[in-house]
Amino acid sequence: MSETFAVLGLFDNAEALVKAVPGLKALRLGRLEAYTPYPVHGLDDLLGRRRSPLAGMVLVMGILGALTALGFQLWVAAVDYPLVTGGKAPTSWQAFVPIMFEVTVLFASFTAGLGMLHLLNRLPFFGHPVLQSKAIRGITRDRFALALEADEGGAGFDPAAAQAALETAGALEIEWLPAPAREPFLTAVFIQRSLAGIAVACLVSGLIMYGSVQMMPVALPMRHMLDQPRVDPQQPSSFFKDGHSMQLPVAGTVARGFLPPGFTTPEEAGRLVNPLPRTPAVMARGRAAYQTHCVVCHDPLGTGLPSLSAAYGAKPANLHTDAIRGYPDGQIYGTIVLGKNAMPSYAADLSEDDRWAVVHYVRALQRAQNAKAEDFQ
Amino acid sequence: MSADRTAALLWSATLLGAAAAAATYLVYGGPRFWANWLLWFIFLLSIALGALFLVALEHLVAARWSVPLRRIAERISSLLLPLAAVGVLALGSLPALYPGSRPEAAADPVLAGKASWLGLPFFSVRVVACAALGLLALAVLVRGSLKQDRDPDPRYTIRARRFAPVGMAIFALSISQAAFDWIGALEPKWYSDVIGVYLFAGAFLSGLAATVLAVLYLMGRQRLQQIRFDHVYNLGAWLFAFTVFWGYIAFAQYLLMWYGNLPEEVVWYLPRTGGAWLPVAILVFVLQFLIPFFALIPMDAKGDLKRLRWVALVVLAAHWLDIYWLIFPVLGRSLVFSWPELGFALLFIGGTLLCLRRAMELGEDMPVGDPFLKEGLEFRL
Repeated sequence: MSETFAVLGLFDNAEALVKAVPGLKALRLGRLEAYTPYPVHGLDDLLGRRRSPLAGMVLVMGILGALTALGFQLWVAAVDYPLVTGGKAPTSWQAFVPIMFEVTVLFASFTAGLGMLHLLNRLPFFGHPVLQSKAIRGITRDRFALALEADEGGAGFDPAAAQAALETAGALEIEWLPAPAREPFLTAVFIQRSLAGIAVACLVSGLIMYGSVQMMPVALPMRHMLDQPRVDPQQPSSFFKDGHSMQLPVAGTVARGFLPPGFTTPEEAGRLVNPLPRTPAVMARGRAAYQTHCVVCHDPLGTGLPSLSAAYGAKPANLHTDAIRGYPDGQIYGTIVLGKNAMPSYAADLSEDDRWAVVHYVRALQRAQNAKAEDFQ
Repeated sequence: MSADRTAALLWSATLLGAAAAAATYLVYGGPRFWANWLLWFIFLLSIALGALFLVALEHLVAARWSVPLRRIAERISSLLLPLAAVGVLALGSLPALYPGSRPEAAADPVLAGKASWLGLPFFSVRVVACAALGLLALAVLVRGSLKQDRDPDPRYTIRARRFAPVGMAIFALSISQAAFDWIGALEPKWYSDVIGVYLFAGAFLSGLAATVLAVLYLMGRQRLQQIRFDHVYNLGAWLFAFTVFWGYIAFAQYLLMWYGNLPEEVVWYLPRTGGAWLPVAILVFVLQFLIPFFALIPMDAKGDLKRLRWVALVVLAAHWLDIYWLIFPVLGRSLVFSWPELGFALLFIGGTLLCLRRAMELGEDMPVGDPFLKEGLEFRL
């Protein structure tokens, strides 16, 4: 058995314990400590405990929290990426206050909680000898214990003298507590070391990651969709010799369906005849092409009153005027190919058959707006 | 200084102040006179109501520690009696300070809709009703407690405890109403739900500060000998806590209105945080929040009589400045402060101290008939 850690004296009530403290303290037989089921007022002063530094720590950390939050927000909102939110200046301090308040509370409460438990009281400490004593059940219920404890190292501690002093002071029961046989498992030091180890591991791996990304920019960890056989904007193509990704047509050739028109004005095209029959399939094709390309300006019914005209100021033609209804088919075809006034050429967008199908569809629209009696038969 | 000389001094200050007040009316006209009148009415009303709230709160939660100090708060709340008269007289400010109560308000579509509410008849009904409810609470809580001194019967305590929850509801409604009517209606197009809580926070803080000062005054005269450090510490802790509450409420209202930037909300803050009034706004925040907050942070400070005295004085001055900042911008964009304000200060401080000197002799110094007095005296932190 190792040497004695402490001699415990048990008292019946708080008054008896408080009365015994000054005499025992004067004898200087060891470190005097009290174990009570609830806080006894004034005991701290009697035992000569120093005023806890916790209040100052909390104040400092609280102010630090406020400044941290202020600094973060100023940096993010006003320095690194100035951003106007809700019409307020980037340095609007009013908006920072709630976060500053929260972070102040966060820092202060963490300091109070962890500082009190861990830094000042060295908790957790599962191996405390008093927890192993027979008296512990009473101490957590209705008994009050004074302990004379050996100082660090235990030199010069006389348990017998301590027992005698406690008995003289009025202790009803005495218990000797042996020093703990081995280091307890979960000590404060162990936890501190573990946390420090985790922090160092995080720091080191973070630095390695940062360094590898910063100093080896070629070795991007993940490319995935960045690697594609395509030409990005402003980049030369490596496939064609001239560096263009889009090639011009070979000189002297014409693509299928894109024969040059044999006319220079829509009126000139009026002599052309629509080669397509008026079948449902052709009508459907014309309708699809019309609703893709024409509808934004001429509107679904061909009245020329769509929303876009307000934005651009142009007045698209109403396809139901007498003049346009009087156009021959070829002139409408020619207008699609050459454009008119603000309307550009749609030759590149619509194939020849598409254009003629649209002509059929426009005719159908005109007829629908100016129906004759026999159409309702 | 002997008691007679103090009384003579206070009387002469009051009379001098009354003369200055009358001169203000003749020289500067109605608005300036009524703005001062309203300022002192609201300031003193919030002290008295704060003290009454303290009494009601003690009964509501059946607090024991504050029983020895209750009589002081009760005496301060007896200021409500003269203040009822001051409040009814303050109705004279209605057309002068309140645009919503003027005949030309009918031309404005917004104010026309509020005319029946802000007009003199219904305004007076509300003021009289609130005054009656306040005096009812005073009668039940304070008169009963004074009677208990001679007739130590617990039924007074039971009655006060039963009344306390009702009194709280009355208090909440009437102080909100007072804030909407007397302060909010100064800018009749302004909307704020929290102005009642804002006035309450200031009222409780200044009622507490006045109680602290009265306790320290009586302790200085070797009365209240049994009051211990622990009681004073609790008062200090409360002062500290409600400093934070006031700061929270004041800033919450400002932040939301600043962020929303809606016309019906910023109409209040634009004149009050611009030009000459911005320094006043900052000073209010510094005096009512920053200084008391940091002065009361240390543990020892909350029980330190000297420090509590000057912190309480700062809090009262800050609350006065707060009400000044709320009311006076209706007079104009520039700061208004010269001899009329000092004259009114003489009138109302002198009058209040005269009332309080008599109030401090109401009953015993402690509620000796209260069954919990002994327990309260034994209170330890």
